[in-house]
Amino acid sequence: MNPEKAPASDPGAIEESRLQRLEIDLAARWPVGIFIGSSLVWLILGSLLAIAASIKLHDPAFLSENPWLTFGRVRPAHLNIVAYGWLSTAGIGIGLWILSRLCRAPIRDNRSLTLAAVLWNMGNAVGSWGILRGDSTAVEWLEYPTYAAPFLLVSFAFVMLESVGLIRRRPPGHIYISQWYIMAAFFWFPCLYFTAHGLLVLAPVQAPAQPPINWWFAHNALGLWFTPIGLGAAYYLIPKIIGRPIHSYYLSVIGFWSLAFFYAWNGMHHLIGGPFPAWLITASVVASIMMFIPVITVAINHHFTMVGHFKKTISSPALRFVVFGAMCYTLASFQGSTMAIRSLNGITHFTHYTIAHAHLGAYGFASMVFFGSIYYIMPRLLEREWPSRFLIRVHFWSCAIGFICYFVFLSWGGILQGLEMNQKETPFLEIVALTMPYLKLRTVSGSLMTLGHLAFFVSFFWMIASHRASIGEPTLFTKRIPDPDPIP
Amino acid sequence: MIIAASIVLVIMLLGSVATIFAFSWAATHQQFENLDKAAESIFDADEPIGSATDAFLTATHES
Repeated sequence: MNPEKAPASDPGAIEESRLQRLEIDLAARWPVGIFIGSSLVWLILGSLLAIAASIKLHDPAFLSENPWLTFGRVRPAHLNIVAYGWLSTAGIGIGLWILSRLCRAPIRDNRSLTLAAVLWNMGNAVGSWGILRGDSTAVEWLEYPTYAAPFLLVSFAFVMLESVGLIRRRPPGHIYISQWYIMAAFFWFPCLYFTAHGLLVLAPVQAPAQPPINWWFAHNALGLWFTPIGLGAAYYLIPKIIGRPIHSYYLSVIGFWSLAFFYAWNGMHHLIGGPFPAWLITASVVASIMMFIPVITVAINHHFTMVGHFKKTISSPALRFVVFGAMCYTLASFQGSTMAIRSLNGITHFTHYTIAHAHLGAYGFASMVFFGSIYYIMPRLLEREWPSRFLIRVHFWSCAIGFICYFVFLSWGGILQGLEMNQKETPFLEIVALTMPYLKLRTVSGSLMTLGHLAFFVSFFWMIASHRASIGEPTLFTKRIPDPDPIP
Repeated sequence: MIIAASIVLVIMLLGSVATIFAFSWAATHQQFENLDKAAESIFDADEPIGSATDAFLTATHES
């Protein structure tokens, strides 16, 4: 729809609404800006470590002289840095901003949130340094050493306090679906992280109980932390950007509550074939198939809301990334449910197919939605436009093409790997040799994605350093309200 | 082992209770009513339905 078709409103209400949003964005500027800005530093670091780990898979001698850069350290450092440094840091910033906007309440204590951002980054710095120096806990997805946890705990306590405060200060009435998703994520993550950290690192339970707890945590980190933040962002940004309410709000409610009630059972499908009670895994397989319910509701909503508006992805960088991410969410979730089926799992388990799937969720969906969210949020936080359309294009196309290649190559290589691993007569080294071309293509694809990240990084900090005031002189966005008293 | 299992059990029970509480709170506080109107709650007077809020300008503004 074009802006000319917007219904006429009372000029006083328009001005009041504009001023309220300005106040909200101004209050969020420092804490949200620090969370988002620092997440980009982790994104670049995590990407470089990813390339190093990827090269080592087909060239094991690469950087192997330095113990800090051996595969056993670089790979978990990459995983934790992108999970907690990039995705979590950006997710907190994006979640807080959307909550503040939807609660129509400014962040009240931006000093404690700024401190939270600093502490969160200190936790990530200490944790990644710990992994690289050899202090990894060796628990997948929880490799940060114990001494990083207090920073994360205190920081998240501040985030939770402020998010509860925002919800309490909202005007009476309906809580929008994005608020439900984001608030739930802000409660689920600390429960997951600190329970798993306590039971697997601080006071480890007996060995047989560790894998179920590990995969309860690792799977839920994706589904009950990154996913609700990403979905909350998509449910806000897609309708907001195109100016059209979501296709079916009823379905969005069903989707949220079915995720809340059933997702936590999913993680045990990672243990199919392992020495665990059959009922435990079967319950998880059933819950995984039940995930079709929330996924279909979200898919219908995101894609039907966009019907007739896909052309706007040409002109809106935020929408382009978010829609790409929403499509990947549908694909990743359908794929994830099918991977829980025992017969298919027998082929894909322990192969690169699983790695491709994890990246479809964490990168294709979550990261792309977060990129889009940042493109939408930052100009509003800073009252300043993105400096270069070219860099945004480089960012999108490098990440999109790089990721699609990454996913296709690694999935294909993973299926071949799994089929061969099920042939008892095939020597293992032959299977390793079979995967080599796909691992090299993975390095190339990952490098392309990193190029996109570098373009984003440059664009972001160029935007911050630039003093080009955009008020009254928009560069990138069509809808700007002229400032009655523009800064000369 | 028993202590650890108990901790997990307590956390899972608390989580379940919290989820059920949130659901019942939503049901009793009109969160499942008038949902079509609720979908419009993200729009404001100056960013109403029908107003796109994020798009590039024409090529003349290329940086």
